[in-house]
Amino acid sequence: MNVQFSSSKISTDDGLSPGETILHVDNISLSFGGVKAIQDVSFDIKKGEVRAIIGPNGAGKTSMLNVINGFYHPQQGTITYRGEERRKMRTHIAAKQGIARTFQNIALFTGMSTLDNIMAGRITLQKRNLIWHALWHGPAQREELEHRAAVEQIIDFLELEHIRKTPVGRLPYGLKKRVELGRALAAEPALLLLDEPMAGMNLEEKEDMSRFILDVNNQFGTTIALIEHDMGVVMDLSDRVMVLDYGRKIGDGTPDEVRNNQNVIDAYLGVPHDE
Amino acid sequence: MLYREAGDFKTNYAADQQTFPIKSERWLFWAFMAFAFFVVPFFIDDYWNKAVLMPLLIYAMAALGLNILTGYCGQVSLGTGGFMAVGAYAAYKLMTSFPGMDMFSVVILSGAVTAGVGILFGLPSLRIKGFYLAVATLAAQFFLVWMFNKFAWFYNYSASGQITAPERSIFGIAVTGPSTAPWATYLFALSILFVFAWVARNLTRGRLGRSWMAIRDMDIAAEIIGVSPLKAKLSAFAISSFYVGMAGAMFFANYLGSIEVTEAFGIEKSFLVLFMVIIGGLGSILGSFLGAAFLVLLPVLLKNIMVGYLGWPTDLAAHFQIMMVGALIVIFLIAEPHGMAQLWRLAKEKLRLWPFPY
Ligand SMILES: Nc1ncnc2c1ncn2[C@@H]1O[C@H](COP(=O)(O)OP(=O)(O)OP(=O)(O)O)[C@@H](O)[C@H]1O
Ligand SMILES: [Mg+2]
Repeated sequence: MNVQFSSSKISTDDGLSPGETILHVDNISLSFGGVKAIQDVSFDIKKGEVRAIIGPNGAGKTSMLNVINGFYHPQQGTITYRGEERRKMRTHIAAKQGIARTFQNIALFTGMSTLDNIMAGRITLQKRNLIWHALWHGPAQREELEHRAAVEQIIDFLELEHIRKTPVGRLPYGLKKRVELGRALAAEPALLLLDEPMAGMNLEEKEDMSRFILDVNNQFGTTIALIEHDMGVVMDLSDRVMVLDYGRKIGDGTPDEVRNNQNVIDAYLGVPHDE
Repeated sequence: MLYREAGDFKTNYAADQQTFPIKSERWLFWAFMAFAFFVVPFFIDDYWNKAVLMPLLIYAMAALGLNILTGYCGQVSLGTGGFMAVGAYAAYKLMTSFPGMDMFSVVILSGAVTAGVGILFGLPSLRIKGFYLAVATLAAQFFLVWMFNKFAWFYNYSASGQITAPERSIFGIAVTGPSTAPWATYLFALSILFVFAWVARNLTRGRLGRSWMAIRDMDIAAEIIGVSPLKAKLSAFAISSFYVGMAGAMFFANYLGSIEVTEAFGIEKSFLVLFMVIIGGLGSILGSFLGAAFLVLLPVLLKNIMVGYLGWPTDLAAHFQIMMVGALIVIFLIAEPHGMAQLWRLAKEKLRLWPFPY
């Protein structure tokens, strides 16, 4: 299915052209008490690419996404997002600046329907204030309908029509993951962070999800940072791969380069590392 | 699928978001409203007004308010009685300081004052949740009642410590004071409730409502999609208190006429309204009405049966009635934790499939 978002929608017009650096992470260190989750890691993400972050369990992948969207505050290092350098950030402000994400453990609004969950993804794009909302008829309703139309396109795109009105608490795991992707997409993000979008899925669901991720990247030009354990998927989907192990960066490059990197092979084969 | 059985198709998103998407339901609603506005006032008497209708309307307003905060935004409050008191005392001060003010403005402004107080007592919600927040609002309840007792300025230094509503009117018709007609206070309260129930529905169906529900369902994820917890929580406290304050103002001025704060707005009020919201259905506008109706009508009904029909002594009946209501609440919560609104929804689903239940 070929879905066209109306031209003004989904375009992530931030003055950057494909290939320019959208996010720059410099010498980030993050620890929890004695646990060093991330140690002096630097990398960048370029506009329009699919950037994978891989590594064994506990390597610090999720922590890195949490640092990028302001959920964790690193003790050292800086983040430059669209040319603006920052160290600390509130998550809801990161959202307003176009960073959306999904979670390793699904974080949907269980009391709300699929439709409302995805509509909630557009909260930062809706502008009408309390007074208009109280009156409803007129500007508030018009705005709501515009956003509903955009959300319906996402629902079509992710093939969620049949569960539009179903409370998400009742959905099976695979569909929940898809709704969560829909909610993140609804924000029309400039940078989409996906934390293991295919974990726990069967082969068919994985194929669907891979297709959705590629389509998002191709059709909307959305920049994607992807954490995934399934190496086949990672190698197929991503333009560049960064490898973390025990909080350190041990490899970075194209899928082929990373595959042949001795450090990476050692880390995955469990060769003891000297500390 | 839901609507197909009714032969009622949705052709655009506007139709899909209507409050009553099914035609027959819409008719039922407006017929009911026409009855409430144009028929009831002709037959209303003082007993019905004081024992049934006014409490029903006013508690429905308070339940709407608490439901916005607790049902939609997930912030538990045990301070409803205290906030009703704020509304009542704000109304009293406004009525006595500005004798020319019409009663509609008095109620709205009392709501606004309570909204301000609500924001203040909502501040702890930015740091604490659940049980701890409940305790903080409980403290607000006791503090507010204590304050209205302690400072004589609030009751204009009257010797009894009570506040009594002077006569005030709207469109030249008295709606407070000793010489009001039952139909006048009834229509006054009904009109305000009608308008603000509609406003509550509007606020909860759009962006604001979704930001509240997002905070309720998962506050971390809410923040990650761009909801500011500060704005969402404090707006819920403000709007909720606005409704509860209006309910308090009407409870004092239009319904009882004269009150003493400890008696009228004690902790039992907080619990009563909370029960209404839970029994009616958390996060449901309709539920607020059903819960209020249940807890206002049931005691009246039980009393009429026990005293009027069975001829029991009143004190025995009163005790028995409290026990029955308590037992029913417990049974209800076990049988249908999602409240009466959910029962209504299930009943509709059954009806729609009838007579082929498959
Ligand atoms: N909030 C936290 N408090 C304490 N320790 C934490 C916290 N978050 C992460 N850690 C620790 O930081 C390290 C990195 O965790 P992280 O979740 O980033 O790993 P991961 O690469 O995403 O692993 P997985 O593949 O299992 O998801 C782990 O040792 C983890 O225990
Ligand atoms: Mg992880």
